Parts: sequence; structure tokens; C-alpha cells
Amino acid sequence: MRLFLTLILAGLIALPTAAMAAPTLEDLQLQIKALSEELEDMSELVEQAETHVAKDRINWYGDLRVKADAVHYDDVTFNPGVKVDFDAFAANMGAFSTPLTALDGTVLTYDETASPNATNVYNLLVGNGFPAAAAKNLTPLTSMMLANPGMVDGFLAGQLTGVKNFSFPVPQKTYDIDNDILYSTRLRLGMKAKVSNDIDFTGRLTMYKNWGDSTAVKVFDSWDAFTMDGTNSGNTTGDLVHVERAMFIWNDIADTNFYLSIGRRPSTYGMPTNYRENEQRGGTPSGHLVNFNFDGVTIGYKLSKVTGVDGQTVRFCYGQGYESEYGNGELFGGIETEDTHLGGFNIDLINDGMHAVQLTAFRAQDINDGFKGVFAFPTAYAPLFAPTMNADMQKFPTFNFVTRYQPSATIGNINLAGIGYAYEAFNGASFFGSLGYTGSESTGEAGMFGGMLSDAVFEAQLNDTKDEIIMMPARAENDKDRDGYGIYVGMQLPAPMGKFGLEYNYGSMFWTPFTQAQDDAISSKLATRGHAGEAYYVFDITPRAFIKVGGIYYDYKWTGSGSPVGEPKEVDDVLDGKAYSMLPAIDTAWDAYASMTVKF
Amino acid sequence: MKLQKLFVLVLALVFTATAVLAVEGGNSRKGKYLFKKNCKVCHSEGAEGGNVTPLSKTQSQWDRMFKKAKHDPKAWENLSEKDLLDVNQFLFDHASDSDQPETCG
Repeated sequence: MRLFLTLILAGLIALPTAAMAAPTLEDLQLQIKALSEELEDMSELVEQAETHVAKDRINWYGDLRVKADAVHYDDVTFNPGVKVDFDAFAANMGAFSTPLTALDGTVLTYDETASPNATNVYNLLVGNGFPAAAAKNLTPLTSMMLANPGMVDGFLAGQLTGVKNFSFPVPQKTYDIDNDILYSTRLRLGMKAKVSNDIDFTGRLTMYKNWGDSTAVKVFDSWDAFTMDGTNSGNTTGDLVHVERAMFIWNDIADTNFYLSIGRRPSTYGMPTNYRENEQRGGTPSGHLVNFNFDGVTIGYKLSKVTGVDGQTVRFCYGQGYESEYGNGELFGGIETEDTHLGGFNIDLINDGMHAVQLTAFRAQDINDGFKGVFAFPTAYAPLFAPTMNADMQKFPTFNFVTRYQPSATIGNINLAGIGYAYEAFNGASFFGSLGYTGSESTGEAGMFGGMLSDAVFEAQLNDTKDEIIMMPARAENDKDRDGYGIYVGMQLPAPMGKFGLEYNYGSMFWTPFTQAQDDAISSKLATRGHAGEAYYVFDITPRAFIKVGGIYYDYKWTGSGSPVGEPKEVDDVLDGKAYSMLPAIDTAWDAYASMTVKF
Repeated sequence: MKLQKLFVLVLALVFTATAVLAVEGGNSRKGKYLFKKNCKVCHSEGAEGGNVTPLSKTQSQWDRMFKKAKHDPKAWENLSEKDLLDVNQFLFDHASDSDQPETCG
């Protein structure tokens, strides 16, 4: 800077000398003095700026998106039921038939004429050799059958042997839901800092909330309504700011093409989902297979520096998605789950701005029947699983107690593989296609919501006070390997004032990607088991501000999209009452949205 | 407010806003191609002009450079005005203070 100013000074002195009549020595001295003073002032300003830059350790940037969604669900069906091992049930029939007594020891009875079902219960027991008097006793078994007429019908028909469906005593409900306006705000604050020549820090803080709610906890009606580590950034969680990403990147290790990155990973908004987001590639792994926050490590090799192919990079990624002991009451020694680890390769074959080819191969080892997280207990579950609690809860129908959930069984592993290609033409058009595969392996274990893509088989047992039969998950119905596949295609065309985009994706019955953090209002569209289509128009107001208007249509063919827990059921079967679903099953849904995003 | 009315309002806002604020520029994708074809000959590691990438300057620095044509004019002889606008757009869009891919490397 000083050299530059000196040259300017010399130039300024030389110019008038050449162009005009020779000034006096006194004039020149005055000019030099004035310029010297100005130079000192400028040096002082430069030093101040330099000091500010040196102290300004973090470079902040970010974006703000406000969005309005009109969300509609058609034919949502709640028809809960579980599979029960009735052979195990029969083996405990003696214990289940122990008469219940009042505090004074009097045996409790029921009125067998009170209802047709009560008469059926009485007749069933008498028909199975119970003395007439004993058949009227209130026992854990008779209590259960009095509350479950379907169970009595099953016994009477001689059908309740082996593993059979057991419906809960609530009638099937099918209904539509119209949420005409759901507003949300997403704030993302990016951070970058230079640690040294080869080491950089980068991070991102995210707040994503729907308007009028900062509880950070939702009533559990789907796996999207579950506040947990992997999806915090993609599901509305109030006005809390979460650390979506925080990592260091150590480049050119020992003057090689290797780099190392450790921390909370950039594992959301990957290619090719960046087109619909109208932003640069937002994460490392394929967005078709992984859109989920992970903590972990990447070791990469910039192959492009050897082969000369732009963007060619090989990465080995490793992360942990679940910690099974720490924080889970490990000191009581009751933990029976495993840590979940994810590892694999993420390879960019080429990424030269025109062609991008990405290969993905991951394995998620020791997946459990869920994650640890927080939700509000749905009132609808109380009469199904907690009649004692329900006795009080029904007096407070809008009081949903907040509970911390943790899984109870290690259900298996999932292998993920995919290939994606994107082409960006000179005229601004972009086209992409992605094929994904998910293959599961089951341990045969199950928790309350099921095993690996398999239902749980429940066994009946007496509660601690021996007065109620409760159903507890014992195992998965099967331990079969399951293959799922998904396709995702789309295009984005230049259009007046912006871009027009069309996308379609399909997932098969057992399609199980890790995209639950995709921030669509209804659910991750790429996790859909069935069809999903989207059309949108982006109006580029300025390079750093745009408006997006569009819609997504979901046509679910199978239940449980986005979850490896439980056997997917045909939605039509749930609608027809032939199959049960512990969570409400959605048939079709659509989301019309308009958003405005500013980047800064 | 009724849903349909709201969407009509949003669309009206969109068209009004974009009509006023939309900017015209070069073709960034073509600019990248032209930059690789014409500029990297001299501006790569070990070459005469030293390594230059879009990250070498900020957006306003790139714009100043092209506006004031701070470059050896001979090297730009083969590039039309539109080509230079495209290259400028590419360098601007990927400058050190622009949005960058958010990958781990």
C-alpha cells in the first residue's frame, strides 16, 4: 500500500512538472507536505481496517426464507393394531385367569348379560370348560376380552392361534385434513474462519420454525413430528437456533491431495436437491439418499489434481447416528441397544460445471428402532397402551405430556447405494437423474413400532400388579432382507424472470433412504414410498433474492415412508381395514407453497 | 384471508417485484467454458500469469477489473464483448464473497 501511494505521489509530482510551467521550489515543498499529511492519514485508515480484519475472526453469511404452505391430506386413516403371538397367550391362560379381588378379598365379577359381548365372553369360557361361577369372575383375561369384542369373536371362531392381528378397541377412522395456511421461517447463519493456511473452520446455525409455535416439541403423529438429532434442521423446532454444521477442514495434508474434515457434517441438501432449493450444492452426499445431520469424519482425496478431471474427488465418510449408552441411563445397566455407525464412499467422478456424476455407497450398521428424541405423547395412544393413565388423561384432553423416547432394540443394518447425474446446459437448462438402492438386513429384534421393515410380534404378559394383561414387543415378525429402490428425475428450464422446474420421484415398498431432514412441510418427498411430483417457478429478483411458487403432490402406496421401523403396508389395505398402522396412514397429500428467500 | 386470494396477491407481488428489480447479465455457464478455454492457458499454476480462479477476487473486484479492462488487451483480442461479459458473470458468480458449494471439500 505504501509503495502504491508513493508511486501516486511521484506521479502527481511529475505530472505538473512536465505539463505546466516550472513551479517554484516553495510550491513543490508545500505540495509534498500536503501529500505527506494525506499519506499519513490514509496509512492510519489502512491500519485501522487491517486491525479490524485481523480481529474479525469469523466471516458470517446466511439466508432467510419465509414460506407459506397450503397443506392437504386426503384419506388419512388411523386403524391401530398389533400382531400378537396367541400360542404364547394360550400358554399363560392360567395366570391370566386369576380372579381379581377387591381390597377386602372379595372376588370381582362381571354381569354376563350386560352386553352381547359380555355374553359371548361368558359362553366362550364355559365352552372351554370353565365352571359357570368361575366364568363370571373378573380376571385379567375377562377384562381384556370385555374391552375387545373382536378378540372374543376371534377366539369363538377358533382363529386365534399362532401370530395374528390384534385390533385395538378404537374404530377405524378415515378423514381429510386441510391446513390452508402454514407459515414458516428458516434462518441459516453460515460461518467461515481461517485457522491457518491449510485449515479452515466452517459452520452453520439454523432456526426453522412454523409461525406461532416455539415449543420445539410436537405431538407424535409421524416420525417427522419427533425432535431429534438428525432432523433438527429440517423440521420446525421453534425459535431455537441449532448447530446444523460445525467442522474443520484440513486441506493438502503433508502437501498431498488428501484432506480431513471432522465435526457435524454437511450432510443435508446435497445434489441434485440443490436445483429445487435454487442454491449451490448444499451438502456432500447425494440428496436422494442422505439428507440427515450426522456427526463424523471425512477423509477425501482430490483426484482431480492427478487426473485433471474437474471436481473429481474420492471421499470416505464415517459418522455416528446414535449413541446407545451415554445419556441413556447406562449406570442402571439396562441398555440393550448398540451405537449406530454409518460409513462408506462418496465419489464425485466429475463435477465440471456442466456434467456432474456422483456415486454413493454407504452402510448404516446397527440401526435401532428409532432415535433418542423428544415428542409430546399423543392422547390417542393413551386408551390403547395406557388405560390407567388414560383414566386421568381423558380429563385433560389437550394436555400432552412431553416425553423423551429412546429405542429399545437393535433391529439391523441398511446398505445404501446410488448414482446421480446432472447436466447443466449453456442456455441455463439443467437436467438430472438419480437411482438409489436401499437394502436392509434384520436382526429379528423389534421394539414397540416394529423391527427392520417388519412388524413387531407382541406377547401378552401380566403387569407388575398382576391385574392387567399388557402387550410387549417380543421379536420381529420376520428377519428377511429387504431391497428397496428409488428414482428421482427433474429438470429446470430458464423462464421469463427466472426458472421453471419439474421433478418426479418414486420409491418402492421397502425404499428407506435417510432423507428425513428434508424440510418439506408434509414430509421428505424423496422418502416417499410411492409417487411424488413437484412443479415450481423461481423468480430471481436479484442474484441474492428470489421468490419460489410451486406445489408437491404425494401419492403414497405404502405406509411408513422414511422409517426403517415396521413393515410397510399397502395404504389401500389400511383404508379397507385389512391392515393396521400404528401411525396414521396417508393416502394422498398435496402442498402448494410460496416462499421468498434472501441471501446476505 | 381466503387461500385463493392470498395466492393471487403473492403472484401479483412477484410479477411487480421482478419487473422492477430483475437484472440482466452474462451467461455464467458459458463464461466458465470461455474462462477455461481462454484464460487458464496463462492463469494456472506455474504458468505465466499465475494461478487465477474466481476465488482470487471479490465480486466487486472482478467487476472493477472488467469495467476498467485491467488486463493485457492482447489476451482479450479473441473475446467479443459478449464473451467478456460471460466471463465476468462467471467470475462474479463464483467470486470469493459469492455463494459457494457447502460441501466438506
